[in-house]
Amino acid sequence: MFDFSKELDLEAQRRRAAFYFLAPMIIALFCVAAWPLLRTIYFSFTDTSLTNLYGGEWIGFDNYLQRRELSSGRVIWRGTLVDPAWWNAVWNTVRFSVISVFFETVFGLGIALVLNAEFRGRGWVRAAILIPWAIPTIVSAKMWAWMLNDQFGIINDILVRIGILERGIAWTASIDTAMTAVLIVDIWKTTPFMALLCLAGLQMIPRDIYEAAKIDGVHPLKVFWKITLPLVRPALMVAVIFRMLDALRIFDLIYVLTPNSKATKTMSVISRENLIDFDKFAYGSAQSTLLFAIIAIFVSLYIWLGKVNLSGEGNQ
Amino acid sequence: MRLTPKQKHTLRVLLSWGAGIIMFFPIFWLVLTSFKTELQAISVPPLLFFEPTLENFALVQERSDYFSYAINSVITSFGATLLALLIAIPGAYAMAFWPSRFTKDILLWMLSTKMLPAVGVLMPIYLLVQKAGLLDTRTALVIIFAMINLPIVIWMLFSYFKEVPKEILESARMDGASTFDVITKLLLPLTKGGILSTALLSIVLCWNEAFWSINLTASDAGTLTALVASYSSPEGLFWAKLSAVSTLACAPIVVFGWFCQKQLVQGLTFGAVK
Repeated sequence: MFDFSKELDLEAQRRRAAFYFLAPMIIALFCVAAWPLLRTIYFSFTDTSLTNLYGGEWIGFDNYLQRRELSSGRVIWRGTLVDPAWWNAVWNTVRFSVISVFFETVFGLGIALVLNAEFRGRGWVRAAILIPWAIPTIVSAKMWAWMLNDQFGIINDILVRIGILERGIAWTASIDTAMTAVLIVDIWKTTPFMALLCLAGLQMIPRDIYEAAKIDGVHPLKVFWKITLPLVRPALMVAVIFRMLDALRIFDLIYVLTPNSKATKTMSVISRENLIDFDKFAYGSAQSTLLFAIIAIFVSLYIWLGKVNLSGEGNQ
Repeated sequence: MRLTPKQKHTLRVLLSWGAGIIMFFPIFWLVLTSFKTELQAISVPPLLFFEPTLENFALVQERSDYFSYAINSVITSFGATLLALLIAIPGAYAMAFWPSRFTKDILLWMLSTKMLPAVGVLMPIYLLVQKAGLLDTRTALVIIFAMINLPIVIWMLFSYFKEVPKEILESARMDGASTFDVITKLLLPLTKGGILSTALLSIVLCWNEAFWSINLTASDAGTLTALVASYSSPEGLFWAKLSAVSTLACAPIVVFGWFCQKQLVQGLTFGAVK
């Protein structure tokens, strides 16, 4: 006969073990994910300043939106939500994220397709392509700032020599080119990561599908659209979301490359300015909170609309 | 237009070498600049051939003890990776083999660590570290690096563990093996490749972490990225020295990564994607 009591016993035991196994992880996650977030949200509803971190008083939504009626009867709105600098930053961030992730995905997929076949020197090429990703952002940003320098930079030198430019331009200083410069560097730095993830996805596609298509004489482009792309789609969707999360929070690259350009100020950069440089700590906290909210909404939409399966269940 | 297989192959090789060279050029240029004198570095047009000098490296070592920063980087990135693995292995095991209705929520919750800008949580964490008396210590960096990388480490381990058939572990349990034995003697050896590449990824990420080491350390526990940062602001125009210090900061991790790249590629093949 089946011994139910023993079964229940085992079940209880397992549950307790699961609890002990998960506890350190949950506690750690709470420390990194939940507590600082709650604290920042709390700060955003107070008038806390850097010099008075513990003495902030609750002021409600004033950091976000505040209505003030002057004695003359005029109404003024203040707060982040009516701050043109904030909306400029939002626009920069969105522009940067969409363009950079788009190109990184296209180039990454392209490189992965090329690298997916055996040829001589593949290991070397793969390593050379991977290295930019392994270099600290602070280093690569500095290095590119140097290469893009208007007088001494190698990029201008090359472009002038091959006749694309008449004379060197100040890539990072000029308002028209600052965003392009940031995009170039970011695409250079993160395409390897995309390529790697795409390569991983490609290598899971069974070879015989391609063999069959070849025998049937299907055009290579059609093979790409009808076979390759649908099959790497799940891998691509997860890769894109991870990239998008980083792109929306972009900070260090811009901070080093074009620190004061209005054309590249993103949400992270502007909230740092307020948090640290301008001593508007609570105001900056409000901006951080808004950034979090924007990303959270975006991720939820993406997962919902794209039907991304994060835990990988049921796609095997 | 249809290409013959041979043409196709040549095209592929050309394309990939082209991409490789474009990707690698900036690094080549950085290393090249580090062997120039400051004057050669700002010569117009930029020099490709010159008499190399080691004076930048000597100067960097003289002004700031490179090796103490390097040791800090090694200790913090390996220590943090080890700590993250210790926390993540049981957690990922529980999620993979005793799934509950919370499993998915936990995975999503982990994603939320990537939704807040680092600077947004700087003050709360700074205050915590300060209260614990851990400012400018390697301990603080080890803990923080481990925490930052924990989500991705758990995520990757979870996807490796899920690949292991449950039956194997069940049958070992039937034979009377304890959970501890099942993990250490069966699961870990089975997923060794995945764990190694997770560790590698985590080491690279820790090594490159700049934000927290700049903000939480000074001279005692500073890592190489903090060293690079210290050379950049006041001496922005000394490009050769900056290149030298950057080269020194990247060299260990690039060499290390080079030896392990095959492992890394294979590892990511499973982990981050599934």
